[in-house]
Amino acid sequence: MKQVLIIDDAATVRMYHRQILEEAGFGVDEAINGIEAIEKILSKKYELLVVDVNMPKMNGYAFLQEIRSKAEVYQAPAIMVSTEAEERDRQAALQAGANFYLVKPTKPGELSSAARLLTGSAS
Amino acid sequence: MPLIKPVKRTDTPDVTASDSLPIADLLSMLGSELPEVRQSALSGLVEYPEAAAVLCRQFESEQDAATRDMIAVVLSRMGGAQTVEGLLPLLRSDNATLRNSVIGILKELPAEVAPHMEALLDNPDSDVRILVVNVLESLRHPKVEDWLIAVISVDAHVNVVATALDLLREVGTDAALPALGGVTTRFPDEPFIAFAVNNALKQIQSAG
Repeated sequence: MKQVLIIDDAATVRMYHRQILEEAGFGVDEAINGIEAIEKILSKKYELLVVDVNMPKMNGYAFLQEIRSKAEVYQAPAIMVSTEAEERDRQAALQAGANFYLVKPTKPGELSSAARLLTGSAS
Repeated sequence: MPLIKPVKRTDTPDVTASDSLPIADLLSMLGSELPEVRQSALSGLVEYPEAAAVLCRQFESEQDAATRDMIAVVLSRMGGAQTVEGLLPLLRSDNATLRNSVIGILKELPAEVAPHMEALLDNPDSDVRILVVNVLESLRHPKVEDWLIAVISVDAHVNVVATALDLLREVGTDAALPALGGVTTRFPDEPFIAFAVNNALKQIQSAG
């Protein structure tokens, strides 16, 4: 089972994304900010990261920039999810190290499809 | 030939006694190119609430992370209406780190933020309203639930409502149940809203 780490400060969003990804066949862990996420990815290999933008302590951009600069970290693909829907937001996410950008609220089909695509699980 | 260690000339002022300097000198130091001088100015400026507006502008433009963190501490301690009014426009910044820092400071100033809350929740920018709902999270104000109920009842933007639902799940009481029942009707095509409403209903009913 491929492992996904959901990084979001909103509990409801984490639960919603967990339900979608578990139904799609992924194993899921959660972190509430970038700092907690870094601790988790240093101790476990994740095949996919689902990263919120606005989080306290370490936001999604800072988190991705940090892990993309670390050679010792497995460079899992990342889906950035945000309430911000403008093209400049998508570009900022890709520049920070995201591989895919989804605007909240996500639809179950779009998140599961993107997750399968980025993890090579597409059927 | 004697070895003479060259003395490096510097215009660095004495930064050890900034507490006793007048505000004009401290504001001048705040314009220094040296972060340590700016930081020294900040330790003195905490005694001058009238410097709040300047500090908010410096907070937006400050490039040195340690100095920016120090400004955040000073503004949190300083509080006051000028601080809140200086910070609120920064919620519209493109800089996510800055926005999150502003939220962090505003959360420390519940009494000063509360009078602005209704106007902030009417802000035409939905991104600002989302950030304002995030500020409500730790505002510990008796009207928080009322504000959240108003948001889920009337706000037209799905992500503002979604953010309010997440918080209402934690702080909501039976008073929120009628409004929760109406949210899915307003957003019938949003699976996340249906999920969040069910979650909030379950949590509130199990706690009640």
